[in-house]
Amino acid sequence: MGKIFDWIDSRFGVKEPHKRFMRRPLPENINYSYCLGGMAFTYFLILVFTGMLLSIYYVPSEKEAFRSIVNITDKVPLGWLIRSLHRWSANLLIIFIILHAIRVFVCKAYRSPRELNWMAGVLSFVIAMASGFTGYLLPWDQKAYWATEVGTSMFKTAPFIGDYLMYMVRGGLDINGTTLIRFYSLHILYLPVSMAVILWAHFHMVKRQGISGGL
Amino acid sequence: MNRRDFLKKMIKAFFTVITATVFSSLIYIYPSKIRKKELQYIYIMDEDELPRRGVRRVEFNVEIDDRIIANRAFIAINDYGLTAFSSVCTHLGCLVNWDNNKSEFLCPCHGGKFDINGTVIAGPPPMPLTRLPLEIKDGKVYVGIKV
Repeated sequence: MGKIFDWIDSRFGVKEPHKRFMRRPLPENINYSYCLGGMAFTYFLILVFTGMLLSIYYVPSEKEAFRSIVNITDKVPLGWLIRSLHRWSANLLIIFIILHAIRVFVCKAYRSPRELNWMAGVLSFVIAMASGFTGYLLPWDQKAYWATEVGTSMFKTAPFIGDYLMYMVRGGLDINGTTLIRFYSLHILYLPVSMAVILWAHFHMVKRQGISGGL
Repeated sequence: MNRRDFLKKMIKAFFTVITATVFSSLIYIYPSKIRKKELQYIYIMDEDELPRRGVRRVEFNVEIDDRIIANRAFIAINDYGLTAFSSVCTHLGCLVNWDNNKSEFLCPCHGGKFDINGTVIAGPPPMPLTRLPLEIKDGKVYVGIKV
């Protein structure tokens, strides 16, 4: 490869130990449906990147949240693009996780020894859905407010601890600035970090167990 | 196309996408409007309130984009006659104070000291205190400040 890369690599040493990934044997009959997981991961990367850009202009406060969203969409150069990319990637991430799960299910790739990896996948799906739910509140408009009102009310239906669960999620009885900050913090900190850890485990197991032989 | 050529093309495409992303991110991050500083004349006192000797501190408010920001300046009678000084220290922009007992301007941040003519007498400031334009019209004193 290039001179600069070689200069760095002769000191950093990342090329040699990764050569074996290029020569890793793959099953005979794999096809493009095996790319679905990778595409979901690509959307995750896009979400992380556009999310970092959005956090530069977004203000997570009761008074400023909606105004900052309008500012991003209408005034910030390319703001509409970054926000749309974030929004569409979020939808496509969920879709591609589901498609990926269907492919794994059809290929019976969830069977021993890959049960734990299936569980990791389900967990990452739950985290993706939670990210979608928390992210939905952040524009702080009517739709966001009432969607969260409905969504968080569902916690109340859990037996015995329902009320306490709901107070925990909302940060009180009502949805207000406290809820917004809670959801913001979950959305940009707790959930992405957990997602990164889960995905690391997911890929680690794929590497160790190899790709399942197909149908 | 063999695998090696395909991978090379993919790597080139990858770096093209990265470059495009970096440029659009820079466009996105760069502020869309940057306010220009303008000279504004602000009423501070009537002419008969001007000090006869020494230094008088004046406080006033400046309006920037619907926000009101408290500011201060000093009116001094020194070797130049009637002079208005900005309170902004020429070192790193803290606001200096007039110490009447020692007869010097003292900056609280890094101990910069200026005498009544605005000249640096101690500390890190590289330049004397900024002199502001003064205007006296119809018995009223206005100070010109860039905001």
